Amino acid sequence: METNKGVVDEKALKAQKSPSGISIIWRELVKDKLAFGSLIFLVLISVFVYGTAIFLDQDEIVTVDLFSIHQPPSEEFWLGTDYGGRDIFGQLIIGTRNSLTIGVLVTLMTGIIGIVFGLVAGYYGGHVDNILMRILDFFLVLPFMMIVIVFVAIVPKYSVLTFSLIMTAFLWMGIARLIRSKALQEKELDYVQASKTLGSSNFKIMFTQVLPNLSSLIIVTMTLNLAANIGLESGLSFLGFGFPESTPSLGTLLGYARNPQTLEFRWWIWVPASVLILLLMLAIRNVGEALKRATDARQRRG
Amino acid sequence: MAFLEVKDLKVHFPIKGGIFGRTVDHIKAVDGVSFELEKGKTYGLVGESGSGKTTTGRAIIGLNNITSGSVTYEGQDITNIRRAKSSVRKDIQMIFQDPYSSLNPKKRVLDIVAEPIRNFESMTKKEERIRVQELMELVGLSPESILKYPHEFSGGQRQRIGIARAVALKPKLIVADEPVSALDVSVQAQVLNFMQDIQKELDLTYLFIGHDLGVIKHMCDHIGIMYRGRYVEEGTVNDIFTNPQHIYTKRLVAAIPDIDPNKRAEQRAFRKEVQTEYEQSFNDYFDEEGLAYDLKPISDTHLVALPEKG
Repeated sequence: METNKGVVDEKALKAQKSPSGISIIWRELVKDKLAFGSLIFLVLISVFVYGTAIFLDQDEIVTVDLFSIHQPPSEEFWLGTDYGGRDIFGQLIIGTRNSLTIGVLVTLMTGIIGIVFGLVAGYYGGHVDNILMRILDFFLVLPFMMIVIVFVAIVPKYSVLTFSLIMTAFLWMGIARLIRSKALQEKELDYVQASKTLGSSNFKIMFTQVLPNLSSLIIVTMTLNLAANIGLESGLSFLGFGFPESTPSLGTLLGYARNPQTLEFRWWIWVPASVLILLLMLAIRNVGEALKRATDARQRRG
Repeated sequence: MAFLEVKDLKVHFPIKGGIFGRTVDHIKAVDGVSFELEKGKTYGLVGESGSGKTTTGRAIIGLNNITSGSVTYEGQDITNIRRAKSSVRKDIQMIFQDPYSSLNPKKRVLDIVAEPIRNFESMTKKEERIRVQELMELVGLSPESILKYPHEFSGGQRQRIGIARAVALKPKLIVADEPVSALDVSVQAQVLNFMQDIQKELDLTYLFIGHDLGVIKHMCDHIGIMYRGRYVEEGTVNDIFTNPQHIYTKRLVAAIPDIDPNKRAEQRAFRKEVQTEYEQSFNDYFDEEGLAYDLKPISDTHLVALPEKG
């Protein structure tokens, strides 16, 4: 064999290169107008919210101003004020930012914990699986709501990060079980056995061979989880078990609607937040559904 | 000193039962198998499904745990190959039966074939790519297609990718676990001839596991016949095909199809005859549990599990 025979020029290689998983997903997203619109909407909202929030001072916005209680929308207060005279528009921006941050943080943290936990349990199986699954079962039987309520009662000050952590502690089990069941299937396949005979370590096989085969499942689940987590945070805050009013979120704004007067006469306080939650959830779901289709060749449109 | 020596290999799988999942019994998948491989030769392991031939191969390469017995490779004990020195692990590779599940569907051919190289050798990206392209040429595939995914290839092509991966480290011994049974016949011949070509080129030793006696006859120098985890007969191709001694081997050899239509009736009668002989003398050739006896030499190369009584 001549040595230069094996060298093929880059152009020939590029021409033969087949599309990667990411480009297939992208094609599917572009093809599905609704999902693509949703994606643009999400990107715009995030850029706008995170961009504007830099110029807004959370402390100033949540400072009570008795002279401007319950103002309807005006030049000064674009979306009016609440019962403490606080600007709703500012709260909406900061609140959306907080809600989005929590949603993303919780999704990422539950994702990482769940993936590692599930992968290890499923790949090794046997005793390791048994022990890890009993630990998981323990977390599963803890009453999530009650512990969050207790947490809110005993911790005087909590931030976006600590609140995400407490949510993460009770939300990683779903994805862990999902990954475990899939890993149990994958590890029986010959390519895993082949990797073993080729000298790859268990760790390497888990994260470079098995994990890519679960990537579609992970992307789809995490996208749909993102919507669920934002919803969950809003729900907790609405019930009063989430953030205090000093840390606005979409849920705290909704919470004002528990007052019948506000619900009936001061629409500007709760309608924008409700609409935003609705739109965010729908948009994330649309993107998630498109991703789901992209992972299944039979359902693809692109 | 033998190239690879397997001594009294036993692989038992526990059967769990009862409330506490205690081990109630064992399945003796491989029960006391011994053989030797010569360098540069092909050794065939034959048997019906469930006879333990695949388990034997997988135990040698470390995919099944060995219950007892030993495996020696060039004088080194490699019974626990996962803990063996990397130079030994490099030397023994495997070709898998199913070309569809043995290649990771999410990896490009480049990554699949380069996996062993990355584990054992330090090469730059460029050297590695050139090496993979050389390997692709060696197995008769286009070197330009290294950025494709496995699903873009046919079964035969995928099996060659599997072979390219197995020979990437220039191994000395390859365990080929029914490498062609998932392929259609025209492709089988192609892959088998190709395996013989690279055997000469790279001076490989094969442990060829299969159930197709035609293929085995074509490929192997020595053959071991397994039945229910034990050897019933071992010998050269000539010994086995022209002078089968054990009743089970006789039946296997009689089952090879003959393509001459004029001999059809003759073949049929012969097969019937062997079948009757098998049924009548089954108790003579196997013990009370239906297992074969220990091997006894009847010539220099030929060993048969003949009954004690003689």
